[in-house]
Amino acid sequence: VASVLALLEQTGLAVWIRESGTLYGYPLILFLHTMGLSTVVGISAAVDLRLLGVAPGIPLASLEKLFGLVWAGFALTAATGTLLFIADAAKHASNPAFFVKLAFVGGGVAALVLVRGRVFRGGARGAGLAAASLACWLVALSAGRLMAYIAEFIS
Amino acid sequence: VNLAHLHLLLNHVPTIGLGFGLALLAASLLRDSEDLRRAGCVALFGVALVAIPAYLSGSAADFVLQSASKRPQEVVTAHQNAAMTALIPLEIAGLVAWLAMWRPRAWHRPAALMLSIVAFALMARAGTIGGQIRHPEIVTAGAAAAAPSWPSPAAAGAAFVLDNPWVWPISEVVHFVGLCLLFGVMLLVNLRLAGVIGGVPQAEVNRLLPWGMAGLGLNIVTGMLFFLAAPDQYTQNGAFIWKMGLMLLGGLGLLYPTMVTEESGSPRDVLQAGLTHKVIAACSLAIWIGVIFFGRFLPYIGME
Repeated sequence: VASVLALLEQTGLAVWIRESGTLYGYPLILFLHTMGLSTVVGISAAVDLRLLGVAPGIPLASLEKLFGLVWAGFALTAATGTLLFIADAAKHASNPAFFVKLAFVGGGVAALVLVRGRVFRGGARGAGLAAASLACWLVALSAGRLMAYIAEFIS
Repeated sequence: VNLAHLHLLLNHVPTIGLGFGLALLAASLLRDSEDLRRAGCVALFGVALVAIPAYLSGSAADFVLQSASKRPQEVVTAHQNAAMTALIPLEIAGLVAWLAMWRPRAWHRPAALMLSIVAFALMARAGTIGGQIRHPEIVTAGAAAAAPSWPSPAAAGAAFVLDNPWVWPISEVVHFVGLCLLFGVMLLVNLRLAGVIGGVPQAEVNRLLPWGMAGLGLNIVTGMLFFLAAPDQYTQNGAFIWKMGLMLLGGLGLLYPTMVTEESGSPRDVLQAGLTHKVIAACSLAIWIGVIFFGRFLPYIGME
């Protein structure tokens, strides 16, 4: 595994992201990562709040459209996240916060799929799912934002 | 022109502007007028927003004084603490004024009025101390030494961040959570305003607005903690100036969906959004994306 990570870090793309120093490199990718994830988490949180009883007058059907935007945001986050990972593969792979983040992103996405299937299509109330979704995103966000600090702490 | 001039310009808003808003609000309570109510609440909310860059530009002015070695340190510190003491009730008053526009309750306007009277008195005190920095000729002997050193929320906030290494990272997490809340609610509210989301009245989507405001509030508090701990890192950064300018616009833009009324005659009317609404919604989203852009790029651009 270590050799694969080292290989990833030495690819031209990884070196460019890490070392080019241009604003189109690391900073832009980081910004797009932020935009993608705030779209995913922001819309998920708003839908969860609706399922938890805030704004009960919003018909679920009117929110169905938003799933397209959420998946687009997720694609952007995943693509830019992959780029950020390969730029510092070994460092991120040795950071426990990174795996916590991945696990809870998985949980958040699973909750989204379930909300769409069971609540939007199946007619379930979904308050429990909404609470689980909010909790997953909260942990994923915290672990992601703390990665840099934890990496500094363990090195 | 430098940011010290900006402070001399903006610092009149939380004093004179607040007096103006306060008078409107008081008049609206005396004469039960819908127009006065709106005007008073809008003025108070606007003053609360502008007071933030007014405060921040004060630290920029301090930086200018420091580099010119003309800084009367004790008076500056006293002015800063007095300003923060006044800013806190003013921000709460702004929030209550916003609630009074969003969904009025009987207690909103009296509470906003009381808070803004307190804020006005404290702002006048901050202004008086600040005047001694700019006009040392009017300071009588011993007045500077008599400048109040209590309460000192600005110094306490800075010490809280600097003395506890966990505060900065945790505040970064909270700042990110607030960002997601605000941006998510802005997406829904503005997509409805633009007619992209249909089949639901604006008023129903607007029930989410307090959650967006809560996100904005979290970000103002945590952002202020960062600023108090490392003011020069921000005042000397061009990206931060842009971020604050856009935040001010975005905040004022919140007034539009809050106050918009729609003719909800037939269901078809509800589905249709005029061009004005589409433009306003697009601008609002672009502004918040700009805020995130300059925030995220802050460490990479704008350093002198």
